Amino acid sequence: MLTYDAYHMPTSLEEALTLWANAAEGSRLVSGATDILPWAREGRAGDVHLPEMVDVTRIPDLDGYAFEKGRIRLGANTVYQDFLTDVTLMRSLPCMPYCAIWFADDQIREQASLAGNLVNASPVADGTPAVVALNGEIELARLDGGQIVRRRVPVVDFITGPGRTQIAEDEIATAVIVDACNGFGGSFQKVGQRRSLVISVACCAALVKTDRDGRVFEDVRLSLGGVGPSPIRMIEAENTLRGERISHGLIEQVAQTAADRVGSRSRQDYRREVVVNFIRAALEDALADQPDIDVKFEDQEEQINA
Amino acid sequence: MPKLRIEAEVNGRKVDRETEPHKRLLDFLRDDLNLTGTKEGCGAGECGTCSVFVDGKLVKSCLMPAGKANGAKIETIEGLAKPGDLTPVQRAFHKTGASQCGYCIPGMVMAATSALRENPQADIEEIKERLGGNICRCTGYTKIFEAVEIAKGVIAGTVPETALEEDMVDDSFIGANVRRLDAPSKVSGRLKYAADMKLPDMLQMQVLRSPHAHARILSIDTSEAEAMDGVACVITAQDVPGTDGFGVFVHDQPIMARDKVRHVGEAVAAVAAEDLVTARRALSKIKVEYEELPGLFDPGEAMAPGAPVIHDYAQDNLIKHIPVRKGDVAAGFAEADLILEDDFSTQQVEHAYLEPEAGVAYVDPDDVVVVISPSQNISHHRHMLAEIIAKPINKVRFIMSPVGGGFGGKEDMIYQGMLALAAMKTHRPVQLNFTREESLIASAKRHPSRVHYRMGLKWDGRITAIEFDMLSDGGAFGMSSEGVMRKAAILSCGPYEVHNLKVDTRVVYTNNTPSGAFRTFGGMQAQFATESMMDMAAEALDMDPFEIRRVNMMKVGAKTHTQQTLETASLDRVLDAAEQASRWEKGAPRVRGATRKDLNGPDTRQPCTLGARIKKASKDSDESERVA
Repeated sequence: MLTYDAYHMPTSLEEALTLWANAAEGSRLVSGATDILPWAREGRAGDVHLPEMVDVTRIPDLDGYAFEKGRIRLGANTVYQDFLTDVTLMRSLPCMPYCAIWFADDQIREQASLAGNLVNASPVADGTPAVVALNGEIELARLDGGQIVRRRVPVVDFITGPGRTQIAEDEIATAVIVDACNGFGGSFQKVGQRRSLVISVACCAALVKTDRDGRVFEDVRLSLGGVGPSPIRMIEAENTLRGERISHGLIEQVAQTAADRVGSRSRQDYRREVVVNFIRAALEDALADQPDIDVKFEDQEEQINA
Repeated sequence: MPKLRIEAEVNGRKVDRETEPHKRLLDFLRDDLNLTGTKEGCGAGECGTCSVFVDGKLVKSCLMPAGKANGAKIETIEGLAKPGDLTPVQRAFHKTGASQCGYCIPGMVMAATSALRENPQADIEEIKERLGGNICRCTGYTKIFEAVEIAKGVIAGTVPETALEEDMVDDSFIGANVRRLDAPSKVSGRLKYAADMKLPDMLQMQVLRSPHAHARILSIDTSEAEAMDGVACVITAQDVPGTDGFGVFVHDQPIMARDKVRHVGEAVAAVAAEDLVTARRALSKIKVEYEELPGLFDPGEAMAPGAPVIHDYAQDNLIKHIPVRKGDVAAGFAEADLILEDDFSTQQVEHAYLEPEAGVAYVDPDDVVVVISPSQNISHHRHMLAEIIAKPINKVRFIMSPVGGGFGGKEDMIYQGMLALAAMKTHRPVQLNFTREESLIASAKRHPSRVHYRMGLKWDGRITAIEFDMLSDGGAFGMSSEGVMRKAAILSCGPYEVHNLKVDTRVVYTNNTPSGAFRTFGGMQAQFATESMMDMAAEALDMDPFEIRRVNMMKVGAKTHTQQTLETASLDRVLDAAEQASRWEKGAPRVRGATRKDLNGPDTRQPCTLGARIKKASKDSDESERVA
């Protein structure tokens, strides 16, 4: 059971940063609260008493999204359901709807924010590989002599281990900035103990763009979650694929290299097998997801005959 | 404690209240506003019994701090229709029989309402996806989806409103769709389950549970907890005035652990306090000294010499042995052309009813101890409690509150005694609502079982003899074990006439979570073994699996395993119907290979997959752009 002495709902970033800077030790920032409430239960943290909770969801500065030079700045109040209801976001961030649909359920997605998911830094957070594939950065704000100071950190560096990030004690995450990937196909793979309403054991996000004929990989983004303490961007695999003729054989070859990226201590053999299948499925699903492009595999005939 | 002020619109009415800052929206609705149609099934966002609309969006109120409700527009199940009225969704749930125990139903109605508000044209795949955050344990969902589809049609005007009315019943109720009398109270959220009840001056109880599987209790010091402001009483086994012990067959379970604990999660002490938070804080002030004892976790080791003894009365740890004998087994096996032998095991299973255990007790002005709870066995509980609290039977009253799912899991009196003791000690009403975690750790489970099987057969498929030896894990207490073993033995060899059989079912104590009643009551474990053997026998004899069953099935005049002569039998018709409905491809198991022709035909339920709406959204947006 979670108890606390005060629940603050600041209505400006400045007010929030001031509250946060002055909050008693052990206080927590809250966005959707969908993670902290189940955490404070028997079998996990048990009964927890916190001094103060600072809720950031009433800060207008954290609402909505804006395009900036090929990037999208998603306010920290962007929730998972937005990736399933906002057609512009669905088109610009093609891996996010697939990430969102496997994330909890419609009701939890209305509350759970992408920024909160990143800041919690669970090694199996669904949002992390998807944002890493989108070259995501997290924007952090703090007060410095009464002025709001912001910095941006690439998400792949921001998460340093389970529950550990580069966020400073006085900082609040204000936005997530990602590439606009219009024209890409996206996909998301996830395995957990059940098919839905469950935390991933491992997950994988992919973004793919081919030439107009659907023959050559023009751009590929691949990342893995849940296979180590922090997210993994598959740079070598991307470089191997970029500019190459699309074939099942090449995808298989790249997929096989993924097994060695598994660094988790638990269920290693299982994860090694899973990620190979993930990379293969992620690339094939993302290729099929590209709008209005019919992909032609070099070895299509062979596959059918095999 | 500082207060949190909440100004909100709830079901169209203005609400301006002060409450504790740490409350969840669920607590604020239930405790402060008495809107108990919103239920708590898990407290962790898994089950959806607490779904409500906040500013038009459906959310799980157990995952929302009450502070977030400030300035918001809240809509609960009570606000969907005017008093005395029901919405088309609610009427459709009534019509199709979508509500059974009813505990998930307010949340399910909310989710269905949300699905149709978000997309009035949602197809069945999307409806399923949008209801994915809500769990039902009774229906298998089919009737719920049926209801949502009818409601969708009525709301859209494509189906006449008469579709919501009760079907006409002709001469016979058999096969007719008859509405449940209690459904309106469930679809409207008006029915009060035990956790929804409030009595003036009522205390909240919390239970301290054992962290050890097997340990001697050296001492329990409750003084610090008892001295706390807001604590009304602390109870332990010392407070039991009569003969402690309950159980369906053997009264081996004390109200709270006496001298030793026998499984993780066993109740050791309980606190009744002015509020839940105080009661929980008081638990942490109770000091229990344990001396750990060697644990017994494998039923196979329970009867070995030198095994830890769980209960003094049963030095061999045997709870019950049920033997059944018929014919001459040795002669039967001698006559067999083929003898098959194998082992089968089944696992522990939780009932997972949506309503966690809950109850209220009070002592009325005539000194009658009254316990209200969703007990599946109130008369038996009443007799047992009278002995335990040393009162004549006319001074003990049990009231059965609506059962939010039981499936056998609410047959055991695992908490009612504590409520009675606290009410007697304080003369105030006391309520105890289990958390989901507590329900999982303290309630009985389906018996894990191991069966060693020997079956003798003739080449034509006739069974000549069966040896069936089952060992079940009863866990720490006897509960319904004896009955479960009896049923397992009676049903052991299935609906087949076997002239020579030797059946033994045994259940033993271990330090695992107690096993108890669960749908089929032992039948499932036995049939898993028997039907698996029948399939393997069909394979070994190169016979069609239906044929081998027809060869052996009990017909009129057959003698059952316990030697009752059957005057009616219907297995022939059951097999015919199953064969036809499954579009069975005739032949021995080997003939089908990897590509069976009888799979995936019409009416086959496809596996769940998500994301139908993603493709649909991108297609719709392309189309709207073309128009623009």
